[in-house]
Amino acid sequence: MTLDPLIHTESLCPICLHKLEAYMYDKGMNTYMHKECSEHGTFETVLWRSKTPMREWIRTKERATIKNPITEVEKGCPFDCGLCSAHRQHTCTALIEVTSRCNLNCRFCFADALDAKSSDPTLEQLRFQFESILKVSGKCNIQLSGGEPTVRDDLVKIVRIGVSLGFPFIQVNTNGIRLGQDEAYVKALKEAGLSSIFLQFDGIDDAIYEKLRGRALFDVKAQAIENCRKHGIGVVLVPTIVPNINVESIGDIIRFGISQTPTVRGVHFQPVSYFGRIPEPPKDSERITLPEVMECICEQTHHMVKMQSMKPPGCENALCSFHGNYLIEEGSLKPVTKRSCCSSGSEKAEEGANKAKAFVARNWSYQKQVKEEKLSDWDKILNAIANNAFSLSGMAFQDAWNVNLERIRDCCIHVSTVEGKLIPFCMYNITNMDGKSLYRETKRA
Amino acid sequence: METKIDTTTPWMCDKCQKALVSQKVKVRYLEGNFEVELLKCPTCNMVFISEDLALGKILEVEKSLEDK
Repeated sequence: MTLDPLIHTESLCPICLHKLEAYMYDKGMNTYMHKECSEHGTFETVLWRSKTPMREWIRTKERATIKNPITEVEKGCPFDCGLCSAHRQHTCTALIEVTSRCNLNCRFCFADALDAKSSDPTLEQLRFQFESILKVSGKCNIQLSGGEPTVRDDLVKIVRIGVSLGFPFIQVNTNGIRLGQDEAYVKALKEAGLSSIFLQFDGIDDAIYEKLRGRALFDVKAQAIENCRKHGIGVVLVPTIVPNINVESIGDIIRFGISQTPTVRGVHFQPVSYFGRIPEPPKDSERITLPEVMECICEQTHHMVKMQSMKPPGCENALCSFHGNYLIEEGSLKPVTKRSCCSSGSEKAEEGANKAKAFVARNWSYQKQVKEEKLSDWDKILNAIANNAFSLSGMAFQDAWNVNLERIRDCCIHVSTVEGKLIPFCMYNITNMDGKSLYRETKRA
Repeated sequence: METKIDTTTPWMCDKCQKALVSQKVKVRYLEGNFEVELLKCPTCNMVFISEDLALGKILEVEKSLEDK
Protein backbone atom coordinates (compact mmCIF):
# COMPACT_ATOMS: atom_id res chain seq x y z
CA MET A 1 0.00 0.00 0.00
CA THR A 2 1.30 3.48 -0.79
CA LEU A 3 0.70 6.08 1.84
CA ASP A 4 0.38 9.71 0.95
CA PRO A 5 1.54 11.27 4.21
CA LEU A 6 -0.43 14.36 4.94
CA ILE A 7 0.37 15.31 8.49
CA HIS A 8 2.87 13.77 10.87
CA THR A 9 1.90 13.46 14.51
CA GLU A 10 2.33 11.15 17.49
CA SER A 11 -0.08 8.68 18.95
CA LEU A 12 -0.19 5.67 21.30
CA CYS A 13 -0.31 1.92 20.82
CA PRO A 14 -3.82 0.75 21.78
CA ILE A 15 -2.29 -2.38 23.32
CA CYS A 16 0.80 -1.22 25.26
CA LEU A 17 0.14 2.56 25.33
CA HIS A 18 3.72 3.24 24.15
CA LYS A 19 4.21 6.40 22.14
CA LEU A 20 4.20 5.87 18.35
CA GLU A 21 4.87 7.96 15.26
CA ALA A 22 1.61 8.46 13.39
CA TYR A 23 0.52 9.82 10.02
CA MET A 24 -2.77 11.29 8.96
CA TYR A 25 -3.33 10.68 5.28
CA ASP A 26 -6.12 11.16 2.73
CA LYS A 27 -7.79 8.32 0.90
CA GLY A 28 -10.44 9.71 -1.39
CA MET A 29 -12.41 12.26 0.60
CA ASN A 30 -11.55 10.67 3.95
CA THR A 31 -8.62 11.06 6.32
CA TYR A 32 -7.17 8.17 8.31
CA MET A 33 -4.53 7.72 10.99
CA HIS A 34 -1.81 5.14 10.39
CA LYS A 35 0.58 4.00 13.13
CA GLU A 36 2.81 1.00 13.77
CA CYS A 37 3.93 -0.55 17.03
CA SER A 38 7.02 -2.76 16.66
CA GLU A 39 5.43 -5.25 19.06
CA HIS A 40 1.69 -5.03 18.31
CA GLY A 41 1.49 -4.24 14.61
CA THR A 42 -0.26 -1.68 12.44
CA PHE A 43 -3.36 0.33 13.31
CA GLU A 44 -5.55 2.30 10.91
CA THR A 45 -8.49 4.43 12.06
CA VAL A 46 -10.79 6.82 10.27
CA LEU A 47 -10.52 10.43 11.49
CA TRP A 48 -12.54 12.46 9.02
CA ARG A 49 -15.18 11.59 6.41
CA SER A 50 -16.53 14.62 4.60
CA LYS A 51 -17.04 16.60 1.43
CA THR A 52 -14.82 19.22 3.12
CA PRO A 53 -11.22 17.98 3.37
CA MET A 54 -9.74 17.91 6.88
CA ARG A 55 -6.90 20.30 6.00
CA GLU A 56 -9.40 23.01 5.05
CA TRP A 57 -10.86 22.85 8.56
CA ILE A 58 -7.58 23.18 10.47
CA ARG A 59 -7.05 26.53 12.21
CA THR A 60 -3.56 27.26 13.48
CA LYS A 61 -2.92 28.99 16.77
CA GLU A 62 -0.02 30.62 18.51
CA ARG A 63 0.45 28.47 21.60
CA ALA A 64 -0.33 29.62 25.13
CA THR A 65 2.14 29.09 27.97
CA ILE A 66 1.12 27.66 31.32
CA LYS A 67 2.23 30.19 33.93
CA ASN A 68 2.28 27.82 36.91
CA PRO A 69 2.94 24.32 35.54
CA ILE A 70 2.60 21.57 38.15
CA THR A 71 4.79 18.96 36.49
CA GLU A 72 8.16 19.06 34.77
CA VAL A 73 8.84 17.59 31.35
CA GLU A 74 10.68 14.35 32.09
CA LYS A 75 9.40 11.42 30.05
CA GLY A 76 7.84 13.53 27.29
CA CYS A 77 4.23 13.98 26.18
CA PRO A 78 1.84 12.39 27.18
CA PHE A 79 3.56 10.93 30.24
CA ASP A 80 4.10 14.13 32.27
CA CYS A 81 0.55 15.50 32.47
CA GLY A 82 -0.15 17.72 35.39
CA LEU A 83 -0.24 20.26 33.51
CA CYS A 84 3.39 20.29 32.38
CA SER A 85 5.31 23.26 31.02
CA ALA A 86 5.04 21.93 27.45
CA HIS A 87 1.22 22.08 27.49
CA ARG A 88 -0.03 24.63 24.98
CA GLN A 89 -3.44 25.74 26.24
CA HIS A 90 -4.96 27.10 29.44
CA THR A 91 -7.86 25.51 31.25
CA CYS A 92 -11.19 26.58 29.83
CA THR A 93 -13.18 24.02 31.82
CA ALA A 94 -11.88 22.03 34.78
CA LEU A 95 -13.70 18.82 35.63
CA ILE A 96 -14.03 17.52 39.14
CA GLU A 97 -15.26 13.96 39.60
CA VAL A 98 -17.32 14.14 42.77
CA THR A 99 -18.19 10.43 42.86
CA SER A 100 -17.59 7.25 40.91
CA ARG A 101 -21.01 5.86 41.82
CA CYS A 102 -23.81 5.91 39.25
CA ASN A 103 -27.51 5.06 39.04
CA LEU A 104 -27.27 3.79 35.44
CA ASN A 105 -25.24 1.13 33.65
CA CYS A 106 -24.51 2.60 30.22
CA ARG A 107 -22.99 0.82 27.30
CA PHE A 108 -20.74 3.80 26.57
CA CYS A 109 -19.25 5.52 29.55
CA PHE A 110 -15.84 7.08 30.06
CA ALA A 111 -16.44 7.77 33.66
CA ASP A 112 -15.74 4.21 34.79
CA ALA A 113 -18.75 4.19 37.04
CA LEU A 114 -20.32 1.41 39.13
CA ASP A 115 -17.20 1.30 41.23
CA ALA A 116 -19.47 0.94 44.24
CA LYS A 117 -16.69 -0.04 46.61
CA SER A 118 -14.89 3.28 46.29
CA SER A 119 -15.95 6.00 48.68
CA ASP A 120 -16.79 9.51 47.54
CA PRO A 121 -14.17 12.24 48.01
CA THR A 122 -14.81 14.31 51.13
CA LEU A 123 -15.80 17.98 50.99
CA GLU A 124 -12.32 18.89 52.29
CA GLN A 125 -10.73 16.89 49.48
CA LEU A 126 -12.95 18.62 46.91
CA ARG A 127 -12.15 22.04 48.38
CA PHE A 128 -8.45 21.21 47.93
CA GLN A 129 -9.14 20.34 44.27
CA PHE A 130 -11.05 23.60 43.67
CA GLU A 131 -8.17 25.52 45.28
CA SER A 132 -5.59 23.67 43.17
CA ILE A 133 -7.52 24.57 40.01
CA LEU A 134 -7.63 28.18 41.13
CA LYS A 135 -3.84 28.23 41.62
CA VAL A 136 -3.00 26.83 38.19
CA SER A 137 -5.87 28.00 36.01
CA GLY A 138 -7.60 30.89 37.79
CA LYS A 139 -11.36 31.28 37.73
CA CYS A 140 -12.10 28.95 34.83
CA ASN A 141 -15.42 27.22 34.22
CA ILE A 142 -16.11 24.19 36.38
CA GLN A 143 -17.93 21.00 35.50
CA LEU A 144 -18.88 18.63 38.31
CA SER A 145 -18.85 15.14 36.91
CA GLY A 146 -18.67 11.51 37.98
CA GLY A 147 -20.03 8.81 38.03
CA GLU A 148 -23.35 10.51 38.40
CA PRO A 149 -22.83 13.64 40.56
CA THR A 150 -26.47 13.78 41.68
CA VAL A 151 -26.17 10.52 43.67
CA ARG A 152 -24.50 12.76 46.27
CA ASP A 153 -26.95 14.35 48.70
CA ASP A 154 -24.36 17.03 49.47
CA LEU A 155 -23.82 18.19 45.86
CA VAL A 156 -25.28 21.55 46.92
CA LYS A 157 -22.41 21.95 49.40
CA ILE A 158 -19.89 21.19 46.65
CA VAL A 159 -21.44 23.86 44.40
CA ARG A 160 -21.26 26.31 47.33
CA ILE A 161 -17.54 25.64 47.81
CA GLY A 162 -16.91 26.50 44.17
CA VAL A 163 -19.08 29.63 44.31
CA SER A 164 -17.41 30.80 47.56
CA LEU A 165 -13.99 30.52 45.90
CA GLY A 166 -15.22 32.78 43.10
CA PHE A 167 -15.69 30.36 40.19
CA PRO A 168 -18.16 32.20 37.94
CA PHE A 169 -19.72 29.24 36.10
CA ILE A 170 -20.45 25.86 37.63
CA GLN A 171 -22.14 23.13 35.64
CA VAL A 172 -23.24 19.60 36.60
CA ASN A 173 -22.84 16.77 34.09
CA THR A 174 -25.81 14.48 34.70
CA ASN A 175 -28.18 11.86 33.35
CA GLY A 176 -31.02 13.96 34.79
CA ILE A 177 -32.79 11.17 36.70
CA ARG A 178 -32.59 12.81 40.12
CA LEU A 179 -33.27 16.28 38.70
CA GLY A 180 -36.46 14.95 37.13
CA GLN A 181 -37.59 13.17 40.29
CA ASP A 182 -36.53 15.60 43.01
CA GLU A 183 -37.52 19.20 42.37
CA ALA A 184 -36.37 20.34 45.83
CA TYR A 185 -32.85 19.16 44.91
CA VAL A 186 -32.94 21.30 41.72
CA LYS A 187 -34.13 24.33 43.70
CA ALA A 188 -31.35 23.89 46.25
CA LEU A 189 -28.72 23.61 43.48
CA LYS A 190 -29.94 26.86 41.95
CA GLU A 191 -29.88 28.59 45.32
CA ALA A 192 -26.32 27.38 45.84
CA GLY A 193 -25.30 29.08 42.58
CA LEU A 194 -25.40 26.34 39.93
CA SER A 195 -25.44 27.90 36.44
CA SER A 196 -26.04 25.03 34.08
CA ILE A 197 -26.79 21.37 33.53
CA PHE A 198 -24.93 19.26 30.95
CA LEU A 199 -27.77 16.81 30.37
CA GLN A 200 -27.03 13.46 28.75
CA PHE A 201 -29.77 13.40 26.08
CA ASP A 202 -29.48 10.83 23.29
CA GLY A 203 -32.81 11.27 21.55
CA ILE A 204 -36.53 11.77 21.94
CA ASP A 205 -37.30 8.08 21.54
CA ASP A 206 -37.12 5.61 24.44
CA ALA A 207 -35.83 2.82 22.18
CA ILE A 208 -32.55 4.80 22.00
CA TYR A 209 -32.28 5.03 25.79
CA GLU A 210 -33.05 1.35 26.16
CA LYS A 211 -30.19 0.48 23.82
CA LEU A 212 -27.63 2.96 25.14
CA ARG A 213 -28.58 3.39 28.78
CA GLY A 214 -30.46 0.22 29.59
CA ARG A 215 -33.87 1.78 30.30
CA ALA A 216 -36.50 4.26 29.08
CA LEU A 217 -35.49 7.74 30.21
CA PHE A 218 -37.15 10.30 27.97
CA ASP A 219 -39.92 11.29 30.40
CA VAL A 220 -37.62 11.77 33.35
CA LYS A 221 -35.28 13.90 31.22
CA ALA A 222 -38.18 16.05 30.03
CA GLN A 223 -39.17 16.50 33.68
CA ALA A 224 -35.57 17.44 34.57
CA ILE A 225 -35.70 20.18 31.91
CA GLU A 226 -39.05 21.36 33.31
CA ASN A 227 -37.62 21.53 36.84
CA CYS A 228 -34.61 23.49 35.55
CA ARG A 229 -36.99 25.87 33.78
CA LYS A 230 -38.93 26.46 37.01
CA HIS A 231 -35.80 27.28 38.95
CA GLY A 232 -33.77 29.07 36.27
CA ILE A 233 -30.94 26.67 35.49
CA GLY A 234 -29.68 26.56 31.87
CA VAL A 235 -29.64 23.14 30.18
CA VAL A 236 -27.34 21.92 27.40
CA LEU A 237 -28.53 18.73 25.70
CA VAL A 238 -25.61 16.32 25.25
CA PRO A 239 -26.25 13.40 22.89
CA THR A 240 -23.67 10.64 22.49
CA ILE A 241 -23.97 9.85 18.77
CA VAL A 242 -23.58 6.16 17.96
CA PRO A 243 -23.81 4.71 14.41
CA ASN A 244 -26.89 2.54 13.86
CA ILE A 245 -28.50 3.85 17.06
CA ASN A 246 -29.22 7.57 17.00
CA VAL A 247 -27.45 9.20 14.03
CA GLU A 248 -30.87 9.67 12.42
CA SER A 249 -32.17 11.46 15.54
CA ILE A 250 -29.86 14.49 15.28
CA GLY A 251 -32.53 16.70 13.68
CA ASP A 252 -35.20 15.63 16.19
CA ILE A 253 -32.90 16.44 19.11
CA ILE A 254 -32.24 19.94 17.71
CA ARG A 255 -35.96 20.59 17.15
CA PHE A 256 -36.75 19.38 20.66
CA GLY A 257 -34.03 21.67 22.05
CA ILE A 258 -35.43 24.68 20.20
CA SER A 259 -38.89 23.90 21.59
CA GLN A 260 -37.46 24.06 25.12
CA THR A 261 -35.70 27.43 24.89
CA PRO A 262 -34.71 29.53 26.74
CA THR A 263 -34.17 26.78 29.33
CA VAL A 264 -32.31 24.67 26.78
CA ARG A 265 -29.35 26.75 25.63
CA GLY A 266 -28.09 24.45 22.90
CA VAL A 267 -27.11 20.95 21.85
CA HIS A 268 -23.57 19.60 22.27
CA PHE A 269 -22.97 16.42 20.27
CA GLN A 270 -20.40 13.85 21.32
CA PRO A 271 -19.53 11.22 18.68
CA VAL A 272 -18.98 7.88 20.41
CA SER A 273 -15.43 6.98 21.40
CA TYR A 274 -14.14 3.70 22.77
CA PHE A 275 -12.82 3.29 26.33
CA GLY A 276 -12.54 0.41 28.73
CA ARG A 277 -12.03 -3.24 28.13
CA ILE A 278 -13.19 -4.26 24.64
CA PRO A 279 -12.63 -7.56 22.82
CA GLU A 280 -11.54 -6.11 19.47
CA PRO A 281 -10.64 -2.75 17.94
CA PRO A 282 -13.67 -0.62 16.98
CA LYS A 283 -14.45 -0.75 13.26
CA ASP A 284 -14.60 2.44 11.21
CA SER A 285 -18.30 1.73 10.65
CA GLU A 286 -18.76 2.04 14.42
CA ARG A 287 -17.51 5.63 14.35
CA ILE A 288 -19.01 8.92 13.25
CA THR A 289 -16.57 11.77 12.60
CA LEU A 290 -17.15 15.47 13.38
CA PRO A 291 -17.87 16.59 9.79
CA GLU A 292 -20.38 13.75 9.43
CA VAL A 293 -22.20 15.08 12.50
CA MET A 294 -22.21 18.55 10.92
CA GLU A 295 -23.52 17.15 7.64
CA CYS A 296 -26.28 15.29 9.51
CA ILE A 297 -27.21 18.53 11.30
CA CYS A 298 -27.61 20.29 7.93
CA GLU A 299 -29.53 17.46 6.26
CA GLN A 300 -31.78 16.60 9.18
CA THR A 301 -32.74 20.25 9.78
CA HIS A 302 -33.56 20.42 6.04
CA HIS A 303 -30.71 22.93 5.63
CA MET A 304 -32.13 25.41 8.13
CA VAL A 305 -28.60 25.04 9.54
CA LYS A 306 -25.91 25.52 6.92
CA MET A 307 -22.40 24.09 6.89
CA GLN A 308 -20.87 27.59 6.68
CA SER A 309 -22.48 28.56 10.00
CA MET A 310 -20.34 26.03 11.88
CA LYS A 311 -16.75 26.86 12.73
CA PRO A 312 -13.64 25.23 14.15
CA PRO A 313 -12.79 26.25 17.75
CA GLY A 314 -10.55 29.13 18.74
CA CYS A 315 -9.65 27.49 22.04
CA GLU A 316 -8.90 23.77 21.66
CA ASN A 317 -7.34 22.06 18.63
CA ALA A 318 -9.39 22.52 15.44
CA LEU A 319 -9.82 18.74 15.09
CA CYS A 320 -11.50 18.50 18.51
CA SER A 321 -14.72 20.38 17.93
CA PHE A 322 -17.10 22.55 15.91
CA HIS A 323 -19.65 25.13 16.98
CA GLY A 324 -22.28 27.43 15.55
CA ASN A 325 -24.19 30.22 17.28
CA TYR A 326 -27.73 31.13 16.31
CA LEU A 327 -30.67 33.30 17.22
CA ILE A 328 -34.09 31.69 17.12
CA GLU A 329 -36.51 33.69 14.99
CA GLU A 330 -40.00 32.23 14.61
CA GLY A 331 -38.77 28.77 15.46
CA SER A 332 -35.93 28.89 12.94
CA LEU A 333 -32.19 29.19 13.61
CA LYS A 334 -30.48 32.27 12.16
CA PRO A 335 -26.68 32.12 12.25
CA VAL A 336 -24.63 34.69 14.13
CA THR A 337 -21.29 33.03 13.37
CA LYS A 338 -19.82 32.67 9.93
CA ARG A 339 -16.79 30.76 8.83
CA SER A 340 -14.33 33.13 7.24
CA CYS A 341 -12.92 32.09 3.88
CA CYS A 342 -9.90 34.34 4.33
CA SER A 343 -8.54 33.50 7.75
CA SER A 344 -5.85 35.92 8.84
CA GLY A 345 -3.39 33.15 9.66
CA SER A 346 -2.47 32.25 13.20
CA GLU A 347 -4.61 33.23 16.19
CA LYS A 348 -3.58 33.40 19.82
CA ALA A 349 -4.53 30.31 21.82
CA GLU A 350 -4.76 32.35 25.03
CA GLU A 351 -7.29 34.71 23.48
CA GLY A 352 -9.27 31.71 22.22
CA ALA A 353 -9.38 30.28 25.74
CA ASN A 354 -10.64 33.57 27.21
CA LYS A 355 -13.34 33.92 24.57
CA ALA A 356 -14.46 30.29 24.96
CA LYS A 357 -14.71 30.64 28.74
CA ALA A 358 -16.79 33.81 28.43
CA PHE A 359 -18.99 32.31 25.73
CA VAL A 360 -19.81 29.17 27.70
CA ALA A 361 -20.49 31.08 30.91
CA ARG A 362 -22.81 33.48 29.07
CA ASN A 363 -24.57 31.18 26.63
CA TRP A 364 -24.95 28.00 28.65
CA SER A 365 -26.44 29.72 31.71
CA TYR A 366 -30.10 30.48 32.09
CA GLN A 367 -30.96 34.07 31.22
CA LYS A 368 -33.56 35.52 33.50
CA GLN A 369 -36.58 36.79 31.58
CA VAL A 370 -37.50 40.42 32.12
CA LYS A 371 -40.84 41.99 31.26
CA GLU A 372 -40.39 43.72 27.90
CA GLU A 373 -42.41 46.90 28.56
CA LYS A 374 -40.02 47.99 31.30
CA LEU A 375 -37.02 47.98 28.99
CA SER A 376 -35.32 50.49 26.72
CA ASP A 377 -34.89 49.52 23.04
CA TRP A 378 -31.31 48.41 23.58
CA ASP A 379 -32.22 46.38 26.63
CA LYS A 380 -35.01 44.73 24.63
CA ILE A 381 -32.37 43.64 22.12
CA LEU A 382 -30.13 42.31 24.89
CA ASN A 383 -33.09 40.47 26.35
CA ALA A 384 -34.05 39.01 22.95
CA ILE A 385 -30.49 37.83 22.33
CA ALA A 386 -30.30 36.29 25.78
CA ASN A 387 -33.58 34.44 25.36
CA ASN A 388 -33.19 33.41 21.75
CA ALA A 389 -29.51 32.49 21.58
CA PHE A 390 -29.00 28.82 20.76
CA SER A 391 -25.74 27.00 20.15
CA LEU A 392 -24.95 23.83 18.25
CA SER A 393 -21.60 22.24 18.95
CA GLY A 394 -19.82 18.94 18.95
CA MET A 395 -16.67 17.56 20.48
CA ALA A 396 -14.85 14.42 19.39
CA PHE A 397 -13.20 12.66 22.29
CA GLN A 398 -10.10 10.66 21.50
CA ASP A 399 -9.52 7.03 22.30
CA ALA A 400 -6.45 4.82 22.09
CA TRP A 401 -7.00 4.24 18.35
CA ASN A 402 -7.36 7.80 17.11
CA VAL A 403 -5.44 9.77 19.75
CA ASN A 404 -3.32 12.56 18.30
CA LEU A 405 -0.85 14.01 20.80
CA GLU A 406 -0.94 17.40 19.05
CA ARG A 407 -4.57 17.59 20.12
CA ILE A 408 -3.70 16.51 23.66
CA ARG A 409 -1.15 19.35 23.94
CA ASP A 410 -3.79 21.86 22.79
CA CYS A 411 -6.47 20.56 25.18
CA CYS A 412 -8.40 23.06 27.33
CA ILE A 413 -10.66 20.65 29.24
CA HIS A 414 -8.75 19.32 32.20
CA VAL A 415 -9.67 16.75 34.84
CA SER A 416 -8.67 17.56 38.40
CA THR A 417 -7.07 14.66 40.29
CA VAL A 418 -6.99 13.95 44.02
CA GLU A 419 -3.35 15.14 44.07
CA GLY A 420 -4.41 18.49 42.64
CA LYS A 421 -3.03 17.82 39.17
CA LEU A 422 -4.85 18.69 35.95
CA ILE A 423 -4.90 16.06 33.21
CA PRO A 424 -6.17 16.77 29.65
CA PHE A 425 -9.61 15.16 29.45
CA CYS A 426 -8.91 12.56 26.76
CA MET A 427 -5.58 11.58 28.27
CA TYR A 428 -7.32 11.04 31.59
CA ASN A 429 -9.94 8.77 30.02
CA ILE A 430 -7.95 6.86 27.41
CA THR A 431 -7.51 3.19 28.12
CA ASN A 432 -5.84 0.39 26.23
CA MET A 433 -7.89 -2.61 25.01
CA ASP A 434 -7.70 -4.19 28.45
CA GLY A 435 -9.11 -1.11 30.12
CA LYS A 436 -5.75 -0.04 31.55
CA SER A 437 -5.29 3.70 31.78
CA LEU A 438 -2.28 6.02 32.01
CA TYR A 439 -3.72 8.43 34.56
CA ARG A 440 -6.98 7.26 36.01
CA GLU A 441 -5.55 4.63 38.37
CA THR A 442 -3.55 7.26 40.24
CA LYS A 443 -6.95 8.38 41.43
CA ARG A 444 -7.60 5.05 43.04
CA ALA A 445 -4.13 4.55 44.48
CA MET B 1 -13.06 62.98 25.38
CA GLU B 2 -16.42 62.28 26.92
CA THR B 3 -19.44 63.42 24.97
CA LYS B 4 -22.58 64.23 26.93
CA ILE B 5 -25.92 64.86 25.26
CA ASP B 6 -27.38 68.12 26.48
CA THR B 7 -31.10 67.46 26.43
CA THR B 8 -32.01 71.14 26.36
CA THR B 9 -30.14 71.83 23.09
CA PRO B 10 -31.18 69.76 20.09
CA TRP B 11 -28.38 68.18 18.09
CA MET B 12 -28.03 69.66 14.63
CA CYS B 13 -26.99 67.93 11.44
CA ASP B 14 -23.91 69.86 10.32
CA LYS B 15 -24.48 69.14 6.65
CA CYS B 16 -28.22 69.92 6.48
CA GLN B 17 -28.46 72.34 9.40
CA LYS B 18 -31.58 70.52 10.62
CA ALA B 19 -32.37 69.53 14.21
CA LEU B 20 -32.08 65.76 14.76
CA VAL B 21 -35.27 63.92 15.59
CA SER B 22 -35.74 60.74 17.60
CA GLN B 23 -36.88 57.93 15.29
CA LYS B 24 -36.95 54.13 15.01
CA VAL B 25 -33.90 52.98 13.07
CA LYS B 26 -33.14 49.51 11.73
CA VAL B 27 -29.84 48.16 13.01
CA ARG B 28 -28.15 45.10 11.56
CA TYR B 29 -25.32 43.19 13.24
CA LEU B 30 -24.10 39.84 11.92
CA GLU B 31 -27.35 38.19 10.83
CA GLY B 32 -29.48 39.92 13.47
CA ASN B 33 -31.93 42.74 12.63
CA PHE B 34 -33.02 45.05 15.40
CA GLU B 35 -35.09 48.23 15.67
CA VAL B 36 -34.09 51.00 18.06
CA GLU B 37 -34.91 54.63 18.64
CA LEU B 38 -31.99 56.90 17.69
CA LEU B 39 -31.37 60.55 16.82
CA LYS B 40 -31.55 61.01 13.07
CA CYS B 41 -31.37 63.87 10.57
CA PRO B 42 -34.83 64.17 8.93
CA THR B 43 -33.23 65.26 5.62
CA CYS B 44 -30.16 63.10 4.99
CA ASN B 45 -31.07 60.27 7.44
CA MET B 46 -27.64 60.35 9.06
CA VAL B 47 -27.89 58.69 12.47
CA PHE B 48 -26.13 60.06 15.53
CA ILE B 49 -24.63 57.59 18.00
CA SER B 50 -23.08 59.15 21.07
CA GLU B 51 -19.84 57.85 22.52
CA ASP B 52 -21.72 56.77 25.66
CA LEU B 53 -24.09 54.66 23.60
CA ALA B 54 -21.33 53.19 21.42
CA LEU B 55 -19.24 52.20 24.42
CA GLY B 56 -22.27 51.27 26.52
CA LYS B 57 -25.32 49.41 25.25
CA ILE B 58 -24.07 48.89 21.68
CA LEU B 59 -20.87 47.31 22.93
CA GLU B 60 -22.94 45.17 25.27
CA VAL B 61 -25.07 43.94 22.34
CA GLU B 62 -21.96 43.21 20.26
CA LYS B 63 -20.39 41.28 23.12
CA SER B 64 -23.52 39.24 23.72
CA LEU B 65 -23.34 38.07 20.10
CA GLU B 66 -19.61 37.44 20.24
CA ASP B 67 -18.25 34.07 19.25
CA LYS B 68 -15.80 31.79 20.98
